[in-house]
Amino acid sequence: MAEVMLEVRELTTKYITRFGEDVYAVDHVSLKVEEGKSLGIAGESGCGKSTLALSLMGYYFAPLHYTSGEIIIGGRNISGMNPDDVRKSILGTEIAYIPQAAMNALNPTRKIINFVEDVVQAHQPFRTKKEIYSLAREVFESLGLPASVLEKYPVELSGGMKQRTVIAVSVILLPKVLIADEPSSALDVTSQKMVIKMLRNLMTDGFIKSLIFITHELPLLYNVVDDIMVMYAGQIVEKGSAREMVFDPIHPYAKGLMGSIIVPEEGLRNVKLTAIPGVPPNLKKPPAGCRFAERCKYVRPDCKALSVGLYDAGVGRTYRCIVPEKELRDAYLREASKNVQ
Amino acid sequence: MTHTIRQVFHSGKFVAGFSILTAILLIVIVYPLIITDSPLAIIAQGTFFPPGIYVNVYDSLGSPRYLLELNDAAAKRIANRLGKDDRTAMRDWLTAYGVPDSEIDINNTKQLLSLWGSKYDPKANIAGLTNAKRNYYVRLNDSLKGLAATGGTILATKNAETGALEETGAVAQADYINISQVANVRVLPLGTDNFGRDVLTELVKATAVSLQIGLVAGVIATLIGLTLGLLAGYIGGLVDDAIVFFTNLFIVIPGFVLLILISFSIGQESRGPFTVAMVIGATSWFWTARAVRAQVVSLRNRDHVNLSKLSGHSIAYIILTDILPYIASYVVMAFILQISSGILAEAGLSILGLGPRTTEVPTLGLMMRWAMIYQAWILGKWWAYLPVLITIALITFSMNLMNTGLDQVFNPALRE
Amino acid sequence: MKGYRKYFLDKLGWFLITLVFAFILNFILPRLMPGDPVAAIVSRLAQGMSDATGVQAIYQQYADLFAVNRPIHEQFLTYMRNVVRGDFGFSISQYPRTVVDVLKSSIGWTIALQFPAIIVGWLVGNTLGALAAYLKGGFDKVLMPVSIFVSNFPAFGMAIILLVIFAVGPARGGVLEWFPASGGYGFDLIPSLTPTFIWSVIVHYQLPFLSIVLIAIGGQAIGMRSMSIYELNADYVKHARFMGIKDRKIVGYVFRNAMLPQITGLALALGTMIGGNLVAETIFSYPGLGFTLLNGVMGQDYPLISASTLIVTLMVLIANFGLEIVYGLIDPRIRAAQSD
Repeated sequence: MAEVMLEVRELTTKYITRFGEDVYAVDHVSLKVEEGKSLGIAGESGCGKSTLALSLMGYYFAPLHYTSGEIIIGGRNISGMNPDDVRKSILGTEIAYIPQAAMNALNPTRKIINFVEDVVQAHQPFRTKKEIYSLAREVFESLGLPASVLEKYPVELSGGMKQRTVIAVSVILLPKVLIADEPSSALDVTSQKMVIKMLRNLMTDGFIKSLIFITHELPLLYNVVDDIMVMYAGQIVEKGSAREMVFDPIHPYAKGLMGSIIVPEEGLRNVKLTAIPGVPPNLKKPPAGCRFAERCKYVRPDCKALSVGLYDAGVGRTYRCIVPEKELRDAYLREASKNVQ
Repeated sequence: MTHTIRQVFHSGKFVAGFSILTAILLIVIVYPLIITDSPLAIIAQGTFFPPGIYVNVYDSLGSPRYLLELNDAAAKRIANRLGKDDRTAMRDWLTAYGVPDSEIDINNTKQLLSLWGSKYDPKANIAGLTNAKRNYYVRLNDSLKGLAATGGTILATKNAETGALEETGAVAQADYINISQVANVRVLPLGTDNFGRDVLTELVKATAVSLQIGLVAGVIATLIGLTLGLLAGYIGGLVDDAIVFFTNLFIVIPGFVLLILISFSIGQESRGPFTVAMVIGATSWFWTARAVRAQVVSLRNRDHVNLSKLSGHSIAYIILTDILPYIASYVVMAFILQISSGILAEAGLSILGLGPRTTEVPTLGLMMRWAMIYQAWILGKWWAYLPVLITIALITFSMNLMNTGLDQVFNPALRE
Repeated sequence: MKGYRKYFLDKLGWFLITLVFAFILNFILPRLMPGDPVAAIVSRLAQGMSDATGVQAIYQQYADLFAVNRPIHEQFLTYMRNVVRGDFGFSISQYPRTVVDVLKSSIGWTIALQFPAIIVGWLVGNTLGALAAYLKGGFDKVLMPVSIFVSNFPAFGMAIILLVIFAVGPARGGVLEWFPASGGYGFDLIPSLTPTFIWSVIVHYQLPFLSIVLIAIGGQAIGMRSMSIYELNADYVKHARFMGIKDRKIVGYVFRNAMLPQITGLALALGTMIGGNLVAETIFSYPGLGFTLLNGVMGQDYPLISASTLIVTLMVLIANFGLEIVYGLIDPRIRAAQSD
């Protein structure tokens, strides 16, 4: 049984608005990532993926507040830890985060090597500059970045190079878990491919032990991650292996998401595209029952009344819906036969 | 457009600044309609009369008299006459005489006077008392005696033939007149300045002139800056290079220095307020030009502009309809800024003596200059300069408030 | 430092061009007066001077100085030659002193006053602004309105307020009488390096210094606060935090980055600041260039005015140039961007 790198249990975090209202952006989320595995988190904009990532880091800066739940990294529960300890022993060493549009994440007036020095010295102050330089060189080169990058300023690098630099720096301290938040969204297609390749190599080369990949671009996930988790309105609506989630989703939302992608894969090429009408609910006043009920094609009278938990469909699959699995699959088949052209 | 205006008037800062400015404008417009005296008329013989209500003494002698018995009249009379210095001197004498300090309260007029009355002896030998000081105390004592008297004053006129004084009337201590029945009363809320002019009337007129100068200077500067910025930004190429070159040149050379040189060169005779405004306008457009140009350059390649170009519209049309509306908000802010700095520039120039001609109209700067030359602030004649300063500060402050408000409306990133 | 050299040469060239332009302006503007400039000047001061030979001497000197009878380019050459030689002619209002003589003493006072004041104002203002952005809360809420109010005050306004509050006693309508109201030093003292004199200078220095510094602080604080807020919210700050870098270190970078535009801002505002400060000097009768200018205007002293304005322009240009050089050294983006 592989070692669990990161385990999250019933994590709830909220934003407090200017007027004092609570917005629960992450609502009782649980997940587990094992050594050597990668998890993809998918969902539309605003569903809480990035907030979840920030919460996982223990990165609570107003207006984001931790409410309840546990985050266990490498056996340690960090959810109650004081921020300074989190900074020293967790951020960067146990768990690292690559923000969206990482190219803006570099201080424009500092050389790359200086930035690396800052990062390393914040956690391992005993290292000399020489040591840091050779370490940096090693990491950069094995990730396909020339050592000359170290002496440059961010303004001298292209977008794709900056992205990869940021990735390289974030794994320099060999964290157990790497969270990549939309790492390729801001890049052109070729750079996208390079970045994803780099991320996969990170695991195989041993720089990181597990990977969490956040995106709204579903086509990417299939070739990159082992498991996929779909979020909607702050909650997980379905979890399963990549193959299952892409080809055989259970939850109506997940199904709808997959149905809205153009997938050149065999078997799906001929399926008509469908969009999910409507908009996600306002999390200031979340609906009492299922949050997707407003937009769901298969909604039942009970859906809006009862709050819905996660149902175990066996083999590590869970989905949040009161409708039994078999009924949903039958409904999908009926729809599919209507849609095939 | 209406939406923008509504937003603008929602902004607290803008409304505050705008109200202050409107209030000033109203005063400037309405006041001259009520008080029609010429602002530069010299009404006082003498310098720096303090603020107050000036009642013609001659007329009041002829006004109907009313008898009022007020309890504190006598005390007030004495208190008015006895200044702080005098009281302190009395105390000093008393303590030197031997009266314990604890018994003397210089603020208790009655007690002080009774102590003095009982103790004062002009022949007493007080240590360290110079002759001059001794005489001073004698004079002081005499005047106090006069105050305590209950008789009135006699009015007399000289007989034209005999030259003798003939009694024509008397004024009792309890006689009062009603101000509204006096023929000549002049209210001078801000006193007079060194020339003898009514400061308040002068101030209102000066504010009007300064505002006009600021407005003209602002219009000129904004027009020039806008035009050059548009041309440079939109046409680009050689025109752009030339304009940018000149603008950069002038941005570095201190505009104020330029202003001084030009104002001096023109000479005082040709420096009417309008001319001064023109000169100020002509030397302050550089910032606006640079800023407008930057905006235009960023707009130049937007899609709607390209569309117009493809449709074959003329350059003038494109500039007017596609570019101007976008930079309008910016231009309005720049305009307000130019007016405000124009007013300050005029004030600075006038203080140095390079402002508009001094004999036609007063300006805020000129009033400051007169106050400076005649040493108003060292002499403590605060009414000659403080109101002017406050007015200048209010005007610039209100305009800056308006600008900050506008900035927050047009630039959501700055909203708090 | 290849990129820097290019930047330096660029700025140097610009400096020289502006310099030449300033000279030309200084030369041309007064000559735009209609009529015979020399006669106009002399006629104006004929009222003030009773010494006929004096008037003659000045007229002659001017005729030579202006070389009005020669073509314009010769006039310009004569002018330049005189400037280089340091000969600005006689001061009309303070005849027989030469202009150079009058200016020599004034320049020192102005530089001693304005430059430290501007620099201190810049440093303190930026620090306050940075603190306000970082600490937020009460400090910020107090600092902002005060800064807005103070920074909009004209320099002469601040000068007068300070003068009335601190230099005029209650007997005359003021408040405190801690500082002298005019002059650069006591009236009865002769400039010398005695402790009495030096102390007198220091005491007289306070109010003029304050009137400039306070406004500068206000202006800088506002700018720095905005820049800091902007930088503090930048992506690289968040990212650095994610990587576990200490807040204190990050903050150091933020302020360093926010300061750079402030330096440019200072360079651009320098001209306006110095101009405004000249008026402040006159309020205090401080024996600097402002005061000299004032007296020159009152005495219709054309040579003095012309030379003073030239000197002020030169000071601003040099300061500007200096700032830009320093900026190029500090901001690595300049060098990097230029070195392609």
